[in-house]
Amino acid sequence: MNEPIDQGQSQAPPGRLFRKYLYAIVALAFAALAINTGFDVWFSYREQKQLLAATQREQAASAAIQIGQFIGQIENQIRWLARLPPELSTNEDERLNATRLLRLSPAIAEIAQLNSEGREQVRVSRRIADKVGSNADLSASAAFRGASDSRAYYGPVYFFADTEPFMTLATRGTGRDPNVIVAEVNLRFIWDLVAGIRVGNTGKAYVVDRMGVLIAHPDLWRALQRSDLSGHADVRSALDSVGPPSGGLVKQGLSGQRVLSTYATVPSLGWLVFVELPLTEAYAPIYASIGRSSFLLVILLACAVLVSLVLSRRMTVPIQLLTQGARRIGSGDLDSRLAIKTGDELEALGEQFNRMAAHLRESYATLERKVIERTSELEKARDHALAEHDSAERARSAAVAANETKSRFLAVVSHELRTPLNGVMGVLQLLDDGSLGEAQRRHLATAAASGETLIALVDAVLEYARLEASTEMLETRDFRLGQLIEAAADLMRPQALDKGLSFDLACDTTVATAVHADPVRLNRILLNLIGNAIKFTPSGGIGVSAAAERHDDHLLLRIDVRDTGIGIAPELHERIFEDFVQADDSIARRFGGTGLGLVIARRLTRLMRGELKVESAPGAGSTFTLQVPLGLAGNSVAQGALAPPSRQLRVLLVDDDPVNCEVGAAILHRLGHHATIARNGASAVALARDQTFDVILMDLHMPDMDGVEAAFRIGELGLAKMPRIIAVTADVSRRARDRLAGAGIAKVVSKPILINALREAIEDDLAAEPVAAQRPATELIDRPFLDDQRELLGAAQIDKLRQLLQQTGARLIDDIATAAAACDHRQLARLAHQLGSAASALGLVRLFERCREVEEAAPAMSRHEHESAARELAELRRASMRALDDLLQPAQQHSVG
Amino acid sequence: MTGRSFVSAAINRRGFIRLATASAAGWIALGATPDRMRIVASLTALPLDDELTRRGMIDSASSRLGNLVAGLRQRGWVEGVNFHLELRSTFGAPDRLKAAVQELLDLKPDVILTGSTIETAAVLAATRTIPVVFATANDPVGNGFVESLAHPGGNATGFTNSSAEMGGKWLQLIREAVPDVARVGVLFNPATTPRGGRFFLDSIEQEAAASGVSAVPAPVNAPAEIDDAVRRFSEPPKAAMLALVDSFLVVNRKAVVAAAAQYRVPTIYPFHYFMDAGGLMSYGPTLEVRSADYVDLILRGTRAGDLPVQSPRKYELLINRTVARTLGLTIQFTLLARADEIRE
Repeated sequence: MNEPIDQGQSQAPPGRLFRKYLYAIVALAFAALAINTGFDVWFSYREQKQLLAATQREQAASAAIQIGQFIGQIENQIRWLARLPPELSTNEDERLNATRLLRLSPAIAEIAQLNSEGREQVRVSRRIADKVGSNADLSASAAFRGASDSRAYYGPVYFFADTEPFMTLATRGTGRDPNVIVAEVNLRFIWDLVAGIRVGNTGKAYVVDRMGVLIAHPDLWRALQRSDLSGHADVRSALDSVGPPSGGLVKQGLSGQRVLSTYATVPSLGWLVFVELPLTEAYAPIYASIGRSSFLLVILLACAVLVSLVLSRRMTVPIQLLTQGARRIGSGDLDSRLAIKTGDELEALGEQFNRMAAHLRESYATLERKVIERTSELEKARDHALAEHDSAERARSAAVAANETKSRFLAVVSHELRTPLNGVMGVLQLLDDGSLGEAQRRHLATAAASGETLIALVDAVLEYARLEASTEMLETRDFRLGQLIEAAADLMRPQALDKGLSFDLACDTTVATAVHADPVRLNRILLNLIGNAIKFTPSGGIGVSAAAERHDDHLLLRIDVRDTGIGIAPELHERIFEDFVQADDSIARRFGGTGLGLVIARRLTRLMRGELKVESAPGAGSTFTLQVPLGLAGNSVAQGALAPPSRQLRVLLVDDDPVNCEVGAAILHRLGHHATIARNGASAVALARDQTFDVILMDLHMPDMDGVEAAFRIGELGLAKMPRIIAVTADVSRRARDRLAGAGIAKVVSKPILINALREAIEDDLAAEPVAAQRPATELIDRPFLDDQRELLGAAQIDKLRQLLQQTGARLIDDIATAAAACDHRQLARLAHQLGSAASALGLVRLFERCREVEEAAPAMSRHEHESAARELAELRRASMRALDDLLQPAQQHSVG
Repeated sequence: MTGRSFVSAAINRRGFIRLATASAAGWIALGATPDRMRIVASLTALPLDDELTRRGMIDSASSRLGNLVAGLRQRGWVEGVNFHLELRSTFGAPDRLKAAVQELLDLKPDVILTGSTIETAAVLAATRTIPVVFATANDPVGNGFVESLAHPGGNATGFTNSSAEMGGKWLQLIREAVPDVARVGVLFNPATTPRGGRFFLDSIEQEAAASGVSAVPAPVNAPAEIDDAVRRFSEPPKAAMLALVDSFLVVNRKAVVAAAAQYRVPTIYPFHYFMDAGGLMSYGPTLEVRSADYVDLILRGTRAGDLPVQSPRKYELLINRTVARTLGLTIQFTLLARADEIRE
């Protein structure tokens, strides 16, 4: 599969190796051959030269001998003539003998016979007429005198007729009166001899006499020119009897070319025979040899290159195979085998590679098997863990359910406790009309205090329950922070002083500002912390310090509450913020309380995105530090919440309980508002239709028509000025709130009605309304869930689901209305279930929960309730769908909002 | 052969082709003849149909031109390829000599070969620049052809013939052949023999005086006079005759020999040509005329004046015994012993 890549990658490096080998081998071969050839040529050149010189010397010697013989023969002939017995020597006979000699020896041009006195007897010549008996006296001649009986006379070379080299030769006979024979020898006949001496093809041999004059040369005309060569260095040195160099002499020849020259001396004559061979010819064999060697070198080099090619290929191909194999193995192809058949180490290496690959293959197989085993083990472990997780989850769910049950229980109980308490407190507040005696008033105060305590307890439990149910919501507005803190301190100071403790409040100037937050909750936290400090401090004092730090968009409030109380062990620092935990069980016994204070304080702090910490040690007191970000207040902040109402409001108070109606009406009067009472839902709707109200205080639990439905109907009246509907209920469950939102009820006042709470709720200006209107939209839909879904399925899918929900929801609502009308509770439950399921898909949580409730409650519901639930569901669906559309089409949200 | 070696050496001196072998050098020598067509001119007194001038007889020793052409070919000169041989003849007629010389000079020859002294003198009178190689000249120094034999110096060189003393030798030889001779006629054409015959006559007369015979000059000026001149020696006292070195006689050698035979005059000749025509005897230098050697050297640039004049070194005596018997002569054994060739 990765073959082409392998080849492509592996091409370059083996190529380099190949070239490296190739160059190395070629260089080696070349060096060896070149050195060999060089030495060979050098030695053969030297040998050839030596040989050549030797040959030439021999030729020269041979030529010298021949010339010597030539002259010697003539000498012998004339000696023969000289030694003829005198008896034979009549004049005529002697002439005949001389004539015979001339016939025999063409070189002899003339012969003269002298008697012992030097008188000429006979002269025989080729050119002139013979003379017999001239008796000319030649005794003074050098020839006559030079010829002795033992030795012939060799005269100097002379040139006859200007061009002909001649020499006089004389011998003396034996006996008493020996004749002397004088012969004139024409040395031109040596030309035949010299021309016949072969010195190579173009070489020449020539002869010079004792004076250095050329007497014989193959180019005849040279000898005829009487050339005097004694000026030539080699001739000069030869004449001076310096022996010829052993290797021959290289010099300029007579014809101007470079020649290899040597010479030999003709015995007895002292002549020199020079043998010259042109270098071109002399060295031709050497050059030919060099040429042959070079040619051979080239051939051998070519062979070497070829052999190198083959050798390099044979060396590199297995390496290349090895490289490719290694790469294949490296890339994981362990099944390939290297097939290197070189029968050497490379093959062994290839085998090792194969073995290694096999080992690797086995190891991989083992590894894979082990991985599979481990994986299956892990899967088992995972399944096990999942099972455990499921059971843990189930356990947790059960615990959560139990906790919820507890919370509901707490809520219900506290609600049920508050309803009578409400009455009690209301009556107690009303009792003091100024006509009471001192004792009565004190009793009344005691009763009121006990009631307040009881209410506080119930409130704590209720609040805890709300927090637990995560239904607590901040109710923010603008207020003066410094006033709040000072009020709280003022409230608590008497208790501290009563206990004999000092109480110091140190408010930084930074807190003297207006903020937008939930003053009720903040106040509760403060009271809690200060109350705790007072409670757990037997002696010493309490110190409260407050400071605010301004940030861009908020104020960071920091409040320290220090005490000199019993302190808290470090290990309990966190536990005291847990449910129902006090530092010590004994503490509960000593100091009483529910142990919920700090829990609520911390939960509220966290609700406000703040932090509550403690620093303490047993016996060294404690310091609780509250840090909480607060919003910045708007421009116009009322000087005080306790100011009288800006205007008198017309309030419709709806409650089936006459006591509550009484109390409510009394409180409203106290607050300066005009109250109208309706004892049931129907009359409330009728009143709302007939009269104009600013606010409707609606009890939710009424026998004929609950508050939600009444609010719904009032909403359907299409009034010109829609009154604000405030629910009055002790039910703080989420379901209850959802219902309220569905009916357009923005505010809730908890029972029992506290005068301040009611005032705040009623006088809440309209600026809060957009916040209230916005709230249902965020609460109708579980946005995180919706966002998750959208991320999971994509916007298109969500949009499709929305359309589907729109269609099916509308159809189901119709069906639900029909079923409700027919009082078919089974059908109603089923349809509610279907609607709930559909709603849950897109996170319409409130619709879903309401559907579930309807589904559960359907069998027990009356026909009237069925229809009410159906209407409620329809309304809730419409609101939910609208909210969903807003969320899904953010561009339209602004125009709608 | 020697010339070729020289040439190849001269050429290889220029080149540096070290690997060239001797055979290659030879080939180059053969092939390296100059590109220009050379002209070799030859002026002779002989008629062109004379066997001595016949070109086809290359192998014949008697054909001078045959020798020349063959020698030149050996040296790389091929007729028609790189040289032309131009032949002109005077037919022995002095009047035609000048025209023939001018004709040759108009050819602008590279070298002129001349036959004998007469032609040589005529050519040298016309040019002192064109190299001249004379085949036979008896006295080149005396004739002013060359400054000296060893170093001619001018534009002429060549080969000498019989020297002046040869006259005495001829006389002695004919006297030995005809022991009872009383007078000896000397046949020559004064116009064509060196110095009008005086070149040889001195030695002849000296020897005649020494041996007691009279030497009688017999000059002839035209072929028609030959017969008369010879006939004069047929009468007693016993006479013999010697023919001098004379191109006229060579040209008319048949007439001379015929006349000698007719009038039974024993005659000695200077060249063997006369023997071929039926002469009694001849004595003279063997003409080793190596004209090709010199022509080659001159064509390759050597100055003629640097080439020495070559003298003869061999002499040959030829005797025709049949002719001798016809003449009633008995050749003595001493003379026969000397003869180089005896023809029957």
